[in-house]
Amino acid sequence: MLETRDALTGNECAAHAVRLCKVDRVVGYPITPQSSVVEYLAAMVANGEMSGEFISPESEYSVMSILKGAGMMGERVFTATSGQGLAFMYEPYFSMSTARIPMVMAIANREMISPVTVWSGLQDTHSVRDAGWIHLYAESNQEILDSIIQGYMIAEHPDVMIPVHVCYDGFYLSHQSAVVSMPDQEQVDAFLPAPNVRQMLDVNAPCMVDGNTPGDLMMEYREDHLWSMKQALSVIEQADAKFAEVFGRSYGGLLDTYRLEDADEVLVVIGALSGAAKDAVDDARSQGRKVGLIRVRCLRPFPSIQLGELLAGRKAVGVVDKSVNFGWSSGIVYQEVLGALGKARLNVPTLSAVGGLGGADIRKDHVARVIDLVHECAQHDKSLEDTVWLRPDMLQD
Amino acid sequence: MSTMDTLMNNEDLVSPGLSACQGCPAELSLRTAFKVLGPKTVLGVPPGCIAGVGVPGWGLKTGMKTPVVMPLLGNSASLMAGVKQAYAKIDPEVHCVVFAGDGATVDSGLQTLSAAAERGENIIYFCYDNEGYMNTGFQKSGTTPHGAHMSTSPFGPYSRGNVGFKKDVPLMLATQDAAYVATLCPSHVQDFVNKVQRATEVKDGLCYLHIMSPCPTGWGVKPDQSIQYARAAVESLYFPLFEYDHGTFTISRPSLRAGKKPRPVSEFIAGQRRFRHLTEEEIQQLQDDVTRKWNLLNKLAS
Ligand code: SF4
Repeated sequence: MLETRDALTGNECAAHAVRLCKVDRVVGYPITPQSSVVEYLAAMVANGEMSGEFISPESEYSVMSILKGAGMMGERVFTATSGQGLAFMYEPYFSMSTARIPMVMAIANREMISPVTVWSGLQDTHSVRDAGWIHLYAESNQEILDSIIQGYMIAEHPDVMIPVHVCYDGFYLSHQSAVVSMPDQEQVDAFLPAPNVRQMLDVNAPCMVDGNTPGDLMMEYREDHLWSMKQALSVIEQADAKFAEVFGRSYGGLLDTYRLEDADEVLVVIGALSGAAKDAVDDARSQGRKVGLIRVRCLRPFPSIQLGELLAGRKAVGVVDKSVNFGWSSGIVYQEVLGALGKARLNVPTLSAVGGLGGADIRKDHVARVIDLVHECAQHDKSLEDTVWLRPDMLQD
Repeated sequence: MSTMDTLMNNEDLVSPGLSACQGCPAELSLRTAFKVLGPKTVLGVPPGCIAGVGVPGWGLKTGMKTPVVMPLLGNSASLMAGVKQAYAKIDPEVHCVVFAGDGATVDSGLQTLSAAAERGENIIYFCYDNEGYMNTGFQKSGTTPHGAHMSTSPFGPYSRGNVGFKKDVPLMLATQDAAYVATLCPSHVQDFVNKVQRATEVKDGLCYLHIMSPCPTGWGVKPDQSIQYARAAVESLYFPLFEYDHGTFTISRPSLRAGKKPRPVSEFIAGQRRFRHLTEEEIQQLQDDVTRKWNLLNKLAS
């Protein structure tokens, strides 16, 4: 059978991907803007469209705890969350990655409180970028669906064994419909074999899991986790390439590029704001300006060497973030880019722009302003010290 | 099998010796429970005395002859529910058991425990109640009795000790319709064994077994007195033994006997360092609370 085409929201895409991956257990708790993911899955189980089980506990804290129990038994498990839900599950969340349980979680990204907000922003997952999970960020509804399928392949790879979250901008992707190709079950089965994950708790082979651990052994575990993070860089690329062979769609593996080849000035973005950013790049190109774009698809592990190679020889780089780095008074991805430039010993002028917090809109005109500022950096061969705030009023003058 | 046979013939699944404080009955309770539960059991032990003293294992060594996992302080009921759900598909006879202290149970773990009972998760949850966070240095918990001097509720010129009142989680879970709830005490072994046995037979929901576990180190009594204090807790009705089995309350035989001629609560608290500042009036208040709870339990069981 061939793929079918449908108009679906991002949350529907996530649910269909989980169905296609034949997940054993979904544990779900409602939170805006993710709620409909777990609603769709509950309905699929209730209607017999999906063979797994659905559990509805009292909080995200229990969601991740039940998943850990089932994951330790070797089941393929899933949940979805957003913002405060991710914060509430932080304790079992950290212990999930460090126990090396290879699940996939969808995150409809949401700004963090205070003050109260339910709207979009990447602060939730960006704030936990060093809790041991793999972070993939999608640009489109199709990529949400495809990345979850790829996600299980990456997470369960024997050299990786690290949980993956597939992140996507709340409301922009979670709630807006777009036409997507729905993979056929047979194709997915051929792409993604049944999980081959060890049952850690077995009465026939008793051992202790997560016992009190002395420091030298803890060091070994962390070293191994970091080694696997490194392996994940190539596994993510392989999964994307294999996916392209079967389904004809690719997302660049770790870094997605747009009109980059001969670009002197480069924008680095993450998530769905790349739509507006690509339009702005097109406008600049039509004026004969050599501007290109890199979309960070994988934030953890961070593809620093790959990014350094892509940025070599450029005249200036601007990074647009939808989160803030409180300690560096800039965007979060911006600091990652600085790290990659430093590692590659590249002295390229840079700027940090922050927008889209709490659902604020990042329009094409905002990105056009950033492109102008990047051009100024290139002309003066000088970084912009202050973070640029993409407010509505910056478009008035 | 009689209680004697169970204890004599069944395999001891817990590492030999005593790694807890001298006279600690919590480890004894774990050992006794596992004689009944048997080797087809997965154990979850959250942070607390039993995990801290290394009974279930340390580093790369397992301290039990069954699989063990150390959950977080507050998520034992959820984590073991996940294990049980997955194990039910492989072997439904395997027991998935939590053995947690009162802090991990009635404080930070209460939400997950209550929800697991509400969902009817078929796990067996033991709480060994030593009435405080003993492993971290005798801080006050939700089951610390009123007035007790603890390291975070110290007695002093401006304090009469713990301001809170002992939280009754067995009754709480019974009234929210957990399948099986029981209170147990290491001084009454036959009753203890019978109740663990009953829990292994329940297949339709959560079993909650709350164990009175005197803590010689934290209560400030001698190691060889812990079972005496356990007995006094039952005989003074400070800790009544009862069962709630699918809707029916029953007062257990040792407590029925004690109820006929209860010892005064003052005999239970006598000699405990944590209570030595209590006035006659405060002791009377404690006695009144015990009597009121006992009367309530009798109404529920009538
Ligand atoms: S502190 Fe108390 S409960 Fe803990 S091991 Fe020692 S005696 Fe037992």
